[in-house]
Amino acid sequence: MSRPPLWRLAPWTRAPLLGLRQPAAVLAVLVTSAILACAVASAPLFLSSARSAALQQQLADQCAEAGWVQDGVGTPRAEPGYTDALVTAWAEQGRTAEPVLATAAVVGRQRGAEPGRVTAADGAEASQPVSVYFRPDALDHVQVVAQRAGDGLWLPASYAEGAGIGLGDRITVAGTPVDVVGLYRDLFSVDAGPYWCDYRILYANDINANTAPPAFALATDPDTFYAVSAGYRYGAQQLAQVPVDAAGLSASDARALLTGQDRAQRRAFALLGLPGASAEDGLVNSRLADAVDRAELVESGLRGPVLPVAVAGALLALVLVAAAGSFWADRRATEVRLLAARGVGPVPLAGKAALELGLPALAGAAVGWAAARLLTSGLGPADDLDPSATSAAVATAVAAFVVGLGAAAAVAGLRARGTAERPLGAAPRWPSRVPWELVLLLGAGWCWLLLQTRDAVVSTGGVAQVNGLLVAFPLLAIAGAAVLLGRVLSALLPRLRRWAGRRSPAVFLAVNRLAAARLATATLLVAVTLPVAVLGYTATLTASAQKTLDAKVGVQIGATRALQTLSRFAPTAAIDEVGTFVVRYEGSATAPEGQGDSAGRQDVQVLAVDPTDFAGTAFWDDSFADEPLPELMAALTGPTVDGRLPVVAAGLPAGDPQLQLGSTEVPAEVVATARVLPGRRLDAAMVLVAADRLPEIERTAGAARAAEIWTNGPLGPAVEALSAAGGVGFRALEPAGVLQTANFLGITWTFGYLSALAVFVGVISVGGLLLYLEARSRSRVSGYVMARRLGLSRGAHLRSLLVELGGVSVAGLLLGGALAGGAVALVHRRLDVDLLRPPTPLLDVPWTALAASAVVVVVVAGLAALYAQRAADRADPATVLRQDA
Amino acid sequence: MTERVQPSGGLVGRGLVKCYPRGVETVSALAGVDLRVDSGEFVALVGPSGSGKSTLLALLCGWETADAGELRYLGPLGDRRPDTFGWRDLALVPQALGLVTDLSLADNVLLPARLRGTAGTEEPRARALLADFGLAHLADRYPHQASLGEQQRVAVARALLLRPAVLLADEPTAHQDRGHADGLLDAVVEAARGGAAVLIATHDELAWARADRVLSMRDGVVTEGGSP
Repeated sequence: MSRPPLWRLAPWTRAPLLGLRQPAAVLAVLVTSAILACAVASAPLFLSSARSAALQQQLADQCAEAGWVQDGVGTPRAEPGYTDALVTAWAEQGRTAEPVLATAAVVGRQRGAEPGRVTAADGAEASQPVSVYFRPDALDHVQVVAQRAGDGLWLPASYAEGAGIGLGDRITVAGTPVDVVGLYRDLFSVDAGPYWCDYRILYANDINANTAPPAFALATDPDTFYAVSAGYRYGAQQLAQVPVDAAGLSASDARALLTGQDRAQRRAFALLGLPGASAEDGLVNSRLADAVDRAELVESGLRGPVLPVAVAGALLALVLVAAAGSFWADRRATEVRLLAARGVGPVPLAGKAALELGLPALAGAAVGWAAARLLTSGLGPADDLDPSATSAAVATAVAAFVVGLGAAAAVAGLRARGTAERPLGAAPRWPSRVPWELVLLLGAGWCWLLLQTRDAVVSTGGVAQVNGLLVAFPLLAIAGAAVLLGRVLSALLPRLRRWAGRRSPAVFLAVNRLAAARLATATLLVAVTLPVAVLGYTATLTASAQKTLDAKVGVQIGATRALQTLSRFAPTAAIDEVGTFVVRYEGSATAPEGQGDSAGRQDVQVLAVDPTDFAGTAFWDDSFADEPLPELMAALTGPTVDGRLPVVAAGLPAGDPQLQLGSTEVPAEVVATARVLPGRRLDAAMVLVAADRLPEIERTAGAARAAEIWTNGPLGPAVEALSAAGGVGFRALEPAGVLQTANFLGITWTFGYLSALAVFVGVISVGGLLLYLEARSRSRVSGYVMARRLGLSRGAHLRSLLVELGGVSVAGLLLGGALAGGAVALVHRRLDVDLLRPPTPLLDVPWTALAASAVVVVVVAGLAALYAQRAADRADPATVLRQDA
Repeated sequence: MTERVQPSGGLVGRGLVKCYPRGVETVSALAGVDLRVDSGEFVALVGPSGSGKSTLLALLCGWETADAGELRYLGPLGDRRPDTFGWRDLALVPQALGLVTDLSLADNVLLPARLRGTAGTEEPRARALLADFGLAHLADRYPHQASLGEQQRVAVARALLLRPAVLLADEPTAHQDRGHADGLLDAVVEAARGGAAVLIATHDELAWARADRVLSMRDGVVTEGGSP
């Protein structure tokens, strides 16, 4: 009679249920499978999250309308029919659009306003023309000076006053008579707010053009607009805008909106009887499409470093899953030994393991996918994910389940068979003695050599991207060095045993436990060292990159924000209250030998500052100079040098620079120097001088004088202080206008993802620690119970656990810290996110975060020791010591 | 030369009862055990598997408490509970041996002395015991690198290290060949001659032959004499 195939026998047919009888093994496989699935599923989710965040941040840095969709037409003569068609096209898609009507060009790269001549009621022609604008609720967003009922135009108050136009006057605009029914405060003289953000070019002369924009007239209703705009030579632009909440936009949402915009524009043309016109002929919003393109560029830049990191994380997690398979073999030792003794080979044993572990592995993969989704939502760059990313994450989680279960089963089968066959006292197998980690170190060296010939930060389309080598090099180096050091230290452990023999029982037991399980000890050491090192490295580089970026912006603006105006006025107490008053001049100084122009001179930016409050507002980092900024300011108030004004310079040597502001010579002496000074906006040397000691510089000197208010507070009070001081017209400098921060997101997120990997490895380490404790719990408990009988106190045993686990943790912390420090020292000077702007990379070590991580490691070790002690305490000696030896 | 121990005065158990719940059933492991082991006496406890031998040993060493009956140690140990005894008072060789897997065989033998702070004093005796039991060449091995028989001899050496007043052992020769079993029994007999009260649960006929007395155990009851 032939034997039935193995898979029809009870150990295999009942395997799925038998597996559930080993809760520890089930839990181990479930948790490790979850970690693996989380590792692989997080990559597509993170990339999608980063893409959404890059899009959202770009839009957040612009006016709200940059994220809106619209259709529109530019027509020789504005008519209601056009507006109706534009709005109807959106309505057919179920969207409500609002009209925007302007005689000015508000869409397109060269936006501007076409002037319309104005004749006052008395027949006098105003010196400044007007542009006309309508938006349904525009009048709700101006500061009313005077108003009356009725349809007509609202004019800026200062314009009306200058043109001799009063409320209720009937004026002529571009040949069309219209009533003036309201006066409002000029938008350029107040903080106009976000409503007017997208139309600033229509009323503010930010670029200091010789010809200021026309006065900005607001129509009370569409009919007034249509009537008045009829006289404009170049017609009008008519838009229908659909507001969009850009803060919750994903890239795929945006693509769908853009498709809808294209459809709306074509439909509007069709309704207008222009079916042949393409969407590009209309006035669609192209900024949203640009932002999506740039977001995808950021994402593609991230993909390079993120995917290898995700693969590395997955491989680590796979090792843990395989360890769980080994753990299963230990837990099921009695049965698998019996089966092995009866000739069952590793393949059927692996099959049995797969059947027993399949359900927990599947549940773990599902948990891992959900965890990746939650982590990305909670901690990722944005919570708005593309549906395709979610599908990809599901697919990768399924793949993780299959591969993980296969790995766990294979290891379980081999381990089970090996346990049964391995002779007593056998030497370690050769693979465990080969220093495989040298391959990692060689790989790191190769990456480092490549990095010497390439930029650490590359810019594609203005988007800064981290060179993948900058990620690969430290990861390989840290991993290789950690394993090598772990191997060396564990090799030294047996020598420690003799030393420990003369110590307390706690130390003796701890050292012997570590020495007896050298592989486990080395693994645990590496498991602590790796996350600490990677986290230290990434957290430091992330903080340093951010600090450098902030510094570049701060140096360029001078403070958090600045207002610049060409008006001449004296500083006031109100200005001192919001910040500091600075006057900027263009000048020149003697250039070093062989440099400069034909006259041997170089350009210099001269800032006349108030030494008493400049240091309190100006952006400063101690790396900018050898002396702190207050000391440099004090130098400005010092005595003259042979009648020359003391000045502080960056880019000029100490001594007499032969300074000229425009054509005016200013005797000066550089008494102190800095590497970088705040307010540097040109690639030129800078000079700071005390404003109250600087002689009057006449307009005729051609020094391009500009007054500035630097502030670290909101813009509104600064604008009010400027207006109150007599300043007219200003240009605001804010961080978003200086650097498109979205361009640098890839760098932050690359290291952010690496940090997440480090935390992830930390979680793996905790999982590994629990497996380590569980795998050794039977022998540990047995030994503990007996040692208690032999005279070991509970306290001494707990201390031994603390020494064992705490010792490895502290060693891992020290090793990890040293490796992180080395990697940062090698890399951070090369991580210049913008080579054009000073300063060079600054170092910012996030001590608090690193200290918190260290505390977490030590606390986890302590908790693990308590856990192991508790498990030992709960053991029943009679039961434990009655089991088979 | 036989080394003397502080005489324990032996132990006396009367009417010892121990029951375990097993599902809805209650299993009676000890059903009124009466026994006495005197100082300097080597007593062999024989009986089939499941007769209650291991339970009795666990109860005598303080890991279990009797549901009924009286257990009393005589002499200097008389006023203490067995679970407070040190290794010099009561040493045992459990069925599972209880070796500390992270310590070498030599360190396992020496561990009771190390925990008492007398490792330096007892080290020569530990070495001698290892040599007597044929384990000297394995001293630096870990338990998992030794055979079960070798581990068992280490457990007995550890039990004998501090010359205990009471020695309890559960099948100490179960995995030994004749020669090693003789060696172990010689050491046990020597301990008894030194004044220890020795009780060994065993199936080994060699042990019966060397014992001063043989107690038979069946269905949780001990009777004098008999065979397993």
